[in-house]
Amino acid sequence: MERKKVIEFRNIAKSFDKQITLKGINLDIYENEFVTLLGPSGCGKTTLLRILGGFLEADEGNIIFDGEEISHKPPYQRELNTVFQKYALFPHLSVYENIAFGLKLKKMSKDVIEQKVMKMLKLIGLEGYENKNTTLLSGGQQQRVAIARALVNEPKVLLLDEPLAALDLKLRKEMQYELKRIQQEVGITFIFVTHDQEEALTMSDKIVVMNGGEIQQVGTPEEIYNEPANRFVANFIGESNILPGVMLDDYKVRFDDITFDCVDYGFKKNEPVDVVIRPEDTDIVPVEQGKMTGEVLSTLFKGVHYEIMVETVPGTSVTVDMRVIHNHEVTSENGKEKINASNFYVDLEDVDKLDDKEIIARSNAMAWSTENDEYISIASIEYDIKPELGSYPVVFSTANGTAVERTVFVVNQPFIKNEKANEAIMAFNFFTTVDEIRESQTLDTDIKTWANAQGWKLSDESQSIDISVDYDFEPENVKEGVYKITFWTTGREFKIHTTDYSEVGQEVGLTFFPEDIHVMSRMTY
Amino acid sequence: MKKFSQLAVPYIAWAVMMLIFPMFLMLLYSFTEHGNSIISFSFTLEHYVKFFSDPDFLLILWRSFGIAVKTTIICLLLGYPLAYFIARSSEKIQNILVLCITIPTWINMLVRTYAWIGLLSDGGPFARLLGLFGFEEVELLYTEFAVLLGMVYNFLPFMILQINTSLCKMDQSLLNASADLGATPAQTFWKVTFPLSLPGVINGITLVFLPAISSFFIPKLLGGGQYFLIGNLIENQFITVGEWNFGSAISMIMAVVMMLLMMVVKKLEVRNQGGKEEK
Repeated sequence: MERKKVIEFRNIAKSFDKQITLKGINLDIYENEFVTLLGPSGCGKTTLLRILGGFLEADEGNIIFDGEEISHKPPYQRELNTVFQKYALFPHLSVYENIAFGLKLKKMSKDVIEQKVMKMLKLIGLEGYENKNTTLLSGGQQQRVAIARALVNEPKVLLLDEPLAALDLKLRKEMQYELKRIQQEVGITFIFVTHDQEEALTMSDKIVVMNGGEIQQVGTPEEIYNEPANRFVANFIGESNILPGVMLDDYKVRFDDITFDCVDYGFKKNEPVDVVIRPEDTDIVPVEQGKMTGEVLSTLFKGVHYEIMVETVPGTSVTVDMRVIHNHEVTSENGKEKINASNFYVDLEDVDKLDDKEIIARSNAMAWSTENDEYISIASIEYDIKPELGSYPVVFSTANGTAVERTVFVVNQPFIKNEKANEAIMAFNFFTTVDEIRESQTLDTDIKTWANAQGWKLSDESQSIDISVDYDFEPENVKEGVYKITFWTTGREFKIHTTDYSEVGQEVGLTFFPEDIHVMSRMTY
Repeated sequence: MKKFSQLAVPYIAWAVMMLIFPMFLMLLYSFTEHGNSIISFSFTLEHYVKFFSDPDFLLILWRSFGIAVKTTIICLLLGYPLAYFIARSSEKIQNILVLCITIPTWINMLVRTYAWIGLLSDGGPFARLLGLFGFEEVELLYTEFAVLLGMVYNFLPFMILQINTSLCKMDQSLLNASADLGATPAQTFWKVTFPLSLPGVINGITLVFLPAISSFFIPKLLGGGQYFLIGNLIENQFITVGEWNFGSAISMIMAVVMMLLMMVVKKLEVRNQGGKEEK
């Protein structure tokens, strides 16, 4: 059956203060549909709704409502009604007067108005509340009145702007069913705005996923969930494992160095893609039967199922030396100031990135007053570091001339590459003192700074990755000497939802069917 | 909690001394004969009888009431559109406009009223302006018009600020909702904006009406001796005639009249709530 279009958005664009909120939206909405505009806050969904309601004017584009261009009509001439986010009930009017507001404007006769209002009160289950003051109603009741006030005008389209956001969880669930029931009963189009993916999946006939002022995907809840169009949709709707891969050929995708059969086609040969596998589509099997294998990192009981994290690709690690040396702070001649800093290593490539701030951080340079232990700022740093291997002096001094000289070693530090996990990390040997370790309040972070530990994605060097640090000394018992410090990353974690328990540390196999692999084209930012 | 409430004791003592005790004294004076000492009183109703049996006094009361009503209506008609305009402006302009309205009140009312004498006097700028249009020898000063002008000028800021506050507090989404339900801007104004601004209007009316009905220096300065109001009558009794008891009685009558008016206003405010309260 060919359904009739009620609303057509044609290339709607809008920006506020030069910030683009909508980038040319094209969307058709049909009769008797429950359409949800879904997206994170700031994605433009509410702006689109306000443009449709007539409270904002689009910079560009047209809105066709029932075959008629309405882009420049004021709100009171548009045949649609809105349920506002905070209900916007008139506080000076009773429940009855609120609902009758629109009808009275149309100069309907009193008995017709009464009939319609009473019918609405019945629909929303608030019979007997007609003379109540709206400000005394509960949130859920106010919500219903707002819906009735809009619906009683028999609009062709009802707009709902995050109407359930202010309700508590239980009431929200109730209202979700209630809204769906009302929509089916009155048989008109509902356009519902929300950031709650579960709400969208529960109620909608059609979901429009938006992000950054653009439509990401339009489809039924099943389509959106099972066949997300891109990484954003996959991440936003439900939980998912997203892996980088390469489409070798139709029905053949390769990720994590393994080639899998899949049901997707139509990509270019060897096109880089993102692969989505939903946690509930994956099963844990003995190692020898698994399509992938890994070690169980954690098992979390979630009620209906366990959430199991399996490391399918091991992480990367690098170990460096930490030399704990004798305190060698310098005291000023009058004994009022002390200054200290450490030698440090720097990579040949990073020499040109060194500035005063970086050098202070890396050398952990500090000066303080001996009288009250307050920090004193380091007024000047003198250095001349050339981008050549070697050692260079750096002099730190305070405004009063208390100075200390340290050495910077320019070295050619190799980094550890992990092709399979698409990452690389590097760190440097470093110097520190017993006091610095003892006084550090955030030792892990400080060690990372002193060692200049960094990690990045091989595919995109500007994207850094999280690094953890391991060491086997107790900060309070540390002595002068050399310690091994290991920096490491977690590998690729695969999330699985299953009703079977798995022991942490166990080696397991993972399996899934070809139709559980969803291939999406890479998003370009 | 108990310690906290003890902090109020100095204020209560202050209020009793400066407000309640004088009021009580006035009440006492109004019911006693002239020339009583503090120790012995002889009670009488003669002052009240005197006031209500003399048509001149009743005329003055009526005239005061009339000019206060006129002042209030003019302030409302001038103040509402102004307040509405201010509330609709951008925040920056709003602040400037509110400042413009408040600045004159920083100067003493008496001084500002004196200024009007110069402006309205014969040969003053207003008379000359009228002269240009051919209206020779129009009396401006010492007329009802001058008194009314002085009152509106002095009390208008109270009206504007009250209404402006209640308009600014109003939720923009209510206006959107009204438009959404099919109300034109004019319909939205009469059905939503105006009813919701009523508390501000009522506050404004109270703040203009009460000082207007009891004002005495504005009619004295701008009305000359010819425009005698109840405030002048009271002042006269206390300062010129020395009839403190009669003056007190008139003051008490005024107080009762104002109290009754306030009660009516309160009733209006309650009616402004939609629906019935929870029983």
